[in-house]
Amino acid sequence: MAKSPDDQRLELLQGTLDMLILRTLQWGRQHGHGIGQMIRAQSDDVLKVETGSLYPALHRLVKRGWLKSEWGVSEANQRAKYYQLTAAGKAQLSREQDRWSQLVQAIGRIMNPAQANKE
Amino acid sequence: MRPDERELDDEIRGHIALSIKERVDRGEDAESARRAALIEFGYIPAARESMRQVWHRRWFAASASLGREMRIGFRSLRRTKGFAATIVITLALGIGATAAIFSVVRGVLLRPLVNRDEDRLIYIRQSGPGIGAGNMTFSVPEIDDLKSHVTTIAAFGDFSTVDFTLIGLGSEPRVVKAGVVGGSFFDVMGLRPVLGRLLNARDDGPNAAGAAVLTHRFWMTALNSDPTVIGRTIRLGPRPATVVGVLEPSVPYPADTEIIANVVTSPHHLGATMVTNRVHRMTELFGRLAPGASIEDARAELTAVHRTMMHDHPEAYSPQADIQLRVSRLRDQIAAPARTILLVLLAAAAVVFVIACSNVANLILARSVRREGELAVRAALGASAGALRRTLLAETLVLCGAGAALGVLLAGPFVTVVARFAARFSVRALEVTVDPSVLWVGAGLAIAAAVVLAFVPRLPSAHAPAGLGLASGTVRITAGTNRRLRLFATAQIALSFVLLVGAGMLLAALIALQTAATGYDMRHVLVFDMPTPATGVGLNDAKLIDFYQQTTRRLSQLPGVERVAVGSFVPWRDAGNFGPSVRFAVEGYTPANGEENPRARFRIVSGRFFDALGIPMIAGRDFTDADRIGSEPVVIVSQSVAQRLFPNGEALNRKMWWTDPYFSTLLPRRIVGIVADVDDENVERRSTMTIYHPVGQFGIAGRLFIRASGDPYSLVATVTQVIRSISADQPLERAATLEDVRAQVLSPERLNAFVFSAFAGIALLIAIVGVAGVLSFSVSARTREFGVRLAVGSSPRQLVARVLSEGLVISAIGIAVGAAAGLGVERLARGVFERVDLPGAVPVVGAATLLVAAAVVASMMPAVRASHVDVLQALRSE
Repeated sequence: MAKSPDDQRLELLQGTLDMLILRTLQWGRQHGHGIGQMIRAQSDDVLKVETGSLYPALHRLVKRGWLKSEWGVSEANQRAKYYQLTAAGKAQLSREQDRWSQLVQAIGRIMNPAQANKE
Repeated sequence: MRPDERELDDEIRGHIALSIKERVDRGEDAESARRAALIEFGYIPAARESMRQVWHRRWFAASASLGREMRIGFRSLRRTKGFAATIVITLALGIGATAAIFSVVRGVLLRPLVNRDEDRLIYIRQSGPGIGAGNMTFSVPEIDDLKSHVTTIAAFGDFSTVDFTLIGLGSEPRVVKAGVVGGSFFDVMGLRPVLGRLLNARDDGPNAAGAAVLTHRFWMTALNSDPTVIGRTIRLGPRPATVVGVLEPSVPYPADTEIIANVVTSPHHLGATMVTNRVHRMTELFGRLAPGASIEDARAELTAVHRTMMHDHPEAYSPQADIQLRVSRLRDQIAAPARTILLVLLAAAAVVFVIACSNVANLILARSVRREGELAVRAALGASAGALRRTLLAETLVLCGAGAALGVLLAGPFVTVVARFAARFSVRALEVTVDPSVLWVGAGLAIAAAVVLAFVPRLPSAHAPAGLGLASGTVRITAGTNRRLRLFATAQIALSFVLLVGAGMLLAALIALQTAATGYDMRHVLVFDMPTPATGVGLNDAKLIDFYQQTTRRLSQLPGVERVAVGSFVPWRDAGNFGPSVRFAVEGYTPANGEENPRARFRIVSGRFFDALGIPMIAGRDFTDADRIGSEPVVIVSQSVAQRLFPNGEALNRKMWWTDPYFSTLLPRRIVGIVADVDDENVERRSTMTIYHPVGQFGIAGRLFIRASGDPYSLVATVTQVIRSISADQPLERAATLEDVRAQVLSPERLNAFVFSAFAGIALLIAIVGVAGVLSFSVSARTREFGVRLAVGSSPRQLVARVLSEGLVISAIGIAVGAAAGLGVERLARGVFERVDLPGAVPVVGAATLLVAAAVVASMMPAVRASHVDVLQALRSE
């Protein structure tokens, strides 16, 4: 894995990229570049998605039927592929969100037992 | 759904364009923005590949990774060239031999014939096992009986073989083997012409015009596929015939003839003897099953009709002959003689393949012991057992693939050799060529071998720290591995032993045949076929007898010629031509109660025949020119006849007569001489009951015998010249010394022994490599042990003896197991084949000695290496 020049950025946890893509597309259709920029912007530049992971992930999600794709023209006046959630994708997103919050809570309890007890 | 290459590129290009635009919007200049965007994107082909891989199926990913492993395996094998070469060659021999034999077996035993509806085509045979007549053929009255009573056969086809002197095709008069057939033959056989037409119902009977069909091979080879031959008039003996067509390529059965003609071309076929004599048997019979009838129905019906026939004509069916009728599919009939030998060869090839595999297993096992360190490291790093097996499988696949490729290349020439060999047993083998089946058999064997071999080595456990110690380069051989290595080596010895004994049996039989005393002077006797000339004379013609006498006289005057005689039968070469032995009676001899008259062979010879062939006269006189038609009928009998009938030696001057219904009159003939026994039917003497007639009283002879003082073959040209000067269109063919005749007759046996010995030789070679490999591996793994032994005072000779004895133990156990397995095989074989011979002591002892010697040779190198171990280095090596 290539080291990011910016030490502040974090590598994504395995398996979370799919969830972030689904979540990003909740707001409407977007092309791959836009998805990467949105994840970066919304994480305040902490999360950086490598294109080498992003595009295989997008294709994997299309293959599973959670996204559909169509060709459009981008802001750069170039042909670009736009991705969009399907109904199955929306259902998957809500499942992943539930799983994620469970995971965060569980890990939180382990890492900060005192805090968890206080809650 | 699945994006194509262009879409993937477009998507990547779109991404980069957006990335550039973003930077330019931020104020960067276009060039540096482009560069930064490309750098940020990373390696484009990798991105494309990773996207593409999303769409691949799982098996594809797995096989892609196996492919990668195979490339790695290939590279690592290139570093151990000797190891890889040994394995590839060993496997190639095993796979090549097996694939070649298999394709011959397939071609000969399994492939359908070209004949239309060939599974409805049957062959009917009458045999008399009681008098050793494997094929008695049928007489015309018998065929008529079967035709008029059988409903399960839609049509019968008949075929008989005749030698014709052919004039009109080619420059010289030639004797050709011809088939004579009725009008229904080709229709029953379901064959088509490639040119012109075949014979049909209009060509049948005595009033049709003479017509002949050429066989494809004759037309192709002798006539260079000349299409103008159709319509040409030829002479077959005294009769004319028109060439009407050329037969398509097909299996020549029952005889490999050059032409096939209608009955009108053969005066003999129209004669009263042929048409009315029930025991005048010379016709082969085929049938086409009636619609709805099965071969079992036909068999039942034919057997029943045949039984009635025998009941109605007891004089033609001697109970002693035990005459039987056999009905089989033509395809099976043609393949039958080759079946046994091909199955035995297939088994031998399979054994060679198993030996090859077990040898390769040994080599791989030894190598994997050396690699145990590497495998242990991989396991420790988290490679699953499956992944390790895949690594091993990749390597064995590379090895076996290369072995199969080389094996398939070897199979080509192998098939040619084996097919030529098998052609002696079944004409179908002539059509066998290398076909794609060799490829898939080879590939199948290779994959099977690779999978088995990949599971031979023991995998190191990720938890066993012992494995890591091996990574330092030393080899410690575990008891389990050692046991497995020895097991494989023992198996190789055992299997080689079985093959060697088999080869030894065949060789012993061949040597017995080649050295058997025949009773002939074989080196100096030159024989010719001198068939009755086409024109001018008939059978029993005084002119023919004059021709023989004139020939004999003129030839005797040639320098280098000692004796000249004519006869009816070239020993061994004419075997079977005169049919079974014939019954006879002698005055003063009454068979014991319940016994039939004795049987003897019927031969025709001229005076000086016995002298020329080196057969001693025991009593009485030889034939002379005065023994002619009209003078007193006389015969000479073999010693066996005289002794069996008259043990007290009063056979001379008694009268004998043939009692078989074949002879219309019971003409008594006086026994004037007794000669030593010979067996002209079998090289290995079996039956020697023979009665000779003078050519002057029987006319036809057809064979010329010359005893030469110098090189017999130097006489051939002069002899031909002399004969042609007496009779211009007299054919004279197939000159050979008796010694060469025997060699020709024995060539199937020789080929048998040769092919089998080749298999055994390959097996022996592989086994030697195997034993040497195991011992040298075991020696190299015990360098330290030998060092210690030498250090504490063992002499190098003791070490040599130690290693040698290990080799001997392996071979001794192997031989014992092989002997046990051989007995098992023999029992198994009894279920499959009619006759199974057990080998004599000589082949068994010979094979065992050879193997022990081979084991000693194989152990020698590692033993010497063990004794030369450098003590200090050995002790330091750990």
